[in-house]
Amino acid sequence: MVCTLDQGEVIASTGPEKSRMRASLRLAFARNDVTRQTTLAFSHQDPPLRVVRAFHNDNGGAMAHLHNVSGGLFGGDDLSLHVEVGKGAEAQLTTTGATRVYRRGIGTPVTRQQNEFTVSDDALLEYVPDAIIPFAGSSYSQHTIVQLSPNAGLFWWEILAPGREARDEVFVFERVEMQTNIAAGDEIICIDRMKLEPQKNSVASPGRMGPYRYCATFFVCKVGLQVEAWFRLEVDLRKIAADLPRPEDTLWGISTLKAHGIMIRCLAKQGCDVTSGLFCLWDAAKCALYRRHAVRPRKMY
Amino acid sequence: MDKDSRCVVPDDDPALIELWLLHLADSALPIGAFAHSFGVETLVMAEMLQIADLDVFLQAWLEQAGVTEAVFCRAASQLATRKIFPAKEWLELNDYLGALKPARESRKGSAVLGNNFLRAALAVCKRMPMQRADEESRKASAEVHHACAFGLVSGALQIGEDQAVRAYLHQSVAGLISACQRLMPLGQTRAQQILWNLKDQIIEAARSSTEFTLHDVPCFLPVLDWGAMEHPELFTRLFIS
Repeated sequence: MVCTLDQGEVIASTGPEKSRMRASLRLAFARNDVTRQTTLAFSHQDPPLRVVRAFHNDNGGAMAHLHNVSGGLFGGDDLSLHVEVGKGAEAQLTTTGATRVYRRGIGTPVTRQQNEFTVSDDALLEYVPDAIIPFAGSSYSQHTIVQLSPNAGLFWWEILAPGREARDEVFVFERVEMQTNIAAGDEIICIDRMKLEPQKNSVASPGRMGPYRYCATFFVCKVGLQVEAWFRLEVDLRKIAADLPRPEDTLWGISTLKAHGIMIRCLAKQGCDVTSGLFCLWDAAKCALYRRHAVRPRKMY
Repeated sequence: MDKDSRCVVPDDDPALIELWLLHLADSALPIGAFAHSFGVETLVMAEMLQIADLDVFLQAWLEQAGVTEAVFCRAASQLATRKIFPAKEWLELNDYLGALKPARESRKGSAVLGNNFLRAALAVCKRMPMQRADEESRKASAEVHHACAFGLVSGALQIGEDQAVRAYLHQSVAGLISACQRLMPLGQTRAQQILWNLKDQIIEAARSSTEFTLHDVPCFLPVLDWGAMEHPELFTRLFIS
C-alpha cells in the first residue's frame, strides 16, 4: 500500500470569511487477480481525515473505517473524499461513529464536504456510514458524485439525524444541503437534492418531513441489470420493508430509478429503526444481486 | 394558433399570445393531467394529508417541487428561442429532470403529460422548435417532461418566460387541488379559496426560480416522495400516480 500523510491546508482569509481547513482523503482499492483479494492499494491522507488500515472480508473484499480525528466537522472545514474502486475490487466503507457537524461561529464559512466515488467495471462499493448529526447553529453542505462503470455495483446510504435529540436539539441547525449525483457511464441515473433550512421553511410541513425526524436514502445499483430484475427486487424489498418493526413510526418508500438501480427512502421518528431497517434491506438486496449476505462493518452498533 | 388566411391578428400580437397562454394552461387541455395525483393519493389514503393541511402542503410543494419545475420550464423556454434548435440540450434537460424525480410513477406521469402536451400543441400549431423537439425525443426514445414541454411550447410561441412559468405553476397547483377534491371532502368553494390564496406563493416560486440553475435547485419533499413511491401498493386507486 502506498500511503502519504500531509498536513491539512489552512487557508487564511482577510475577508469576512475566517480561515478554512482544506483536507482530502484519497483511497484506491485494487483487486489482486492471484489472491482474489481486494486491498487498499493507495491512500493519501490529510489530517483530520484518516484511514488506519483496511480489513479483509471473508468474501475477498476490503473494508475501511473513515476517521475524522478532530471528532467532527467544524465551521470552515472544506473536506474532500475521493475513492476509487478498481476493476473487480470490492470495498466497504463506514465511519467510526456518527458524523457530528458542529455549530459554526459568526463569520465562519459553511462546512463543506465533497465526495467522489469511482466504481470500475465489475467492482462493488458499499458505503454504509453512521448518521450525520447537525448540531444547533451548524451549516453543512455536502456534494457527492458516484460514477459507475459497466457491471459496477453500489450499496450506498446516508442518514440524516435532526440534531442532538438528547439535548432537545431538533431541527435547530442553520442549514443542511446534500446533493448526490449517480451516473452510469454517460447516463445520469439519479440526482438527489436535499436542502433543509428549519428557520426559513417548516420542516414538519406535510410533504416535507411531517412528524418524522430521521431521513435516510439508500441506493442499490448494478449497472447493466435489466429493468424487469429491478421491478422484481422492488417488490421483494417492499415485502421486507412491510415486515420491519414499528411501521407506525417509520415510512419506507421504494422505487426503481430511471435505470440500473433502486432508491429507498426512509423517514422515521427514531434513528434505531432506520439503521436496523437499512441492514435488513441491504442484506436482502445483496442476496438478490450477488447471491451472498451483506457483511456488516466491523464495529459496535 | 396556426391561423387560416382570414385571420388578421399578427402572431406577435400580445392579445393573441395571452389567449394562447390561457388555452395552453387550461385544465381542459386534453393531456391526461386529471389522472395523476403525484403521490397525493397515497398521503390522503394514509391519513397523512388533511384538508386543514392543504395550504401548507401546497406551499411546501411550491417552494420545492414548484421551484424545480419552474427552473426547467424556464430553461426549455430559452431553448425554444435559439436560432438553431439545440437538440442535445433539449434531451439532456429532460433527462436531468427525470433523474431528479425519485419515484417511478411520478417520473412517468410527468413524462406522459409532457409528451401529451407537446403533441396536443403540435396538433394545433406547428413551430420549428416544437417539431424538432418532438422528432429528437422520438428518435432517442427519450422522455419529455411536462415542465420542459410547457416551457418549450411557450418559448416557441413567444410567450414571456415569467408569464409561462407562473401559468405552469398555477396549472400544476390547480391540478393537485383538483385531485384533492376527488380524494377528500373538499368543496368547490374551499378549493377555490385555497387556489386563490396561493397566488403570492406562485409568484414567489416563479421569482425564486431565477436564483437557481439546473445544477443547484433543491427538491426535497420526502413524505410526498414516499407517497409517490408507495402509490403502486394502494389497494384501490383513483389515479395513475
